[in-house]
Amino acid sequence: MNTAMVPAEAEAEILAELRRLRARVPQLSGALAASADGLVLAQDSAATEAESVAALTAAALGVAQRLSDCTGQGGFRELLVRGEHGYVATYAAGEAAVLTLIAEPRVNVGRLHLEARRSSVRITELIEHSLGRRSGPEAPAADHT
Amino acid sequence: MVNVETALKEATTTIEGAIGAALVDYGSGMALGHVGGGKDLDLTVAAAGNTDVVRAKVRTMEMLGLKDEIEDILITLGSQYHLIRLLKGRNSEGFFLYLALDRGRANLAMARHQLKKIEESLEV
Repeated sequence: MNTAMVPAEAEAEILAELRRLRARVPQLSGALAASADGLVLAQDSAATEAESVAALTAAALGVAQRLSDCTGQGGFRELLVRGEHGYVATYAAGEAAVLTLIAEPRVNVGRLHLEARRSSVRITELIEHSLGRRSGPEAPAADHT
Repeated sequence: MVNVETALKEATTTIEGAIGAALVDYGSGMALGHVGGGKDLDLTVAAAGNTDVVRAKVRTMEMLGLKDEIEDILITLGSQYHLIRLLKGRNSEGFFLYLALDRGRANLAMARHQLKKIEESLEV
């Protein structure tokens, strides 16, 4: 499951953060941290389609970034999709990662935003910290255009 | 009939001791508008949190088998009153007005009466 982007201990910390988030917002049916290019960093969900959700998130992120850019709204911050049976929300976690959440239709969206924004800051810190620990010529590039 | 912005402005300017007011959709937990508040009282946090309060009370009443509706909810803090008033009207189901008051300056009976009047005139 783990990718080249973060070491195993960072993955465990991100997973712990996802679990804390799901405890605070019980209507979440899935939580996933992915790199902006579509690789799963950590996931906590009953369903097993994390890889495809991460890949689709990356595709949606690309469109959302361009849309935000070309309408003069600046960099990507978040994306909310409401389906007939619930929500899918994606939040930027720094430049190189995103937090994607799947929620039941009766979720408190106000609370979802508050908790998810806090979590994405925390996940950004965890990723940056783990990249910092491994800094050197081999450090992965974090640039996205 | 007045709109959301006008109603909230009226609530914070005419009700003695008002600190902030918001109109909240408790289906989503998001505020349709808010006036006042500031760094000591983040009204978007209050909107999301009080949505859980309203939902919990609605659920409790269902479990108790009470076939009734909530008119308002009063929360008394050491230094503030928080008033939640559910909107009635045909097109305004699923919303509540939230009003935070300074307990030292507010007249609770008067505030409740004024909020009821504002709620009746409000059109979402």
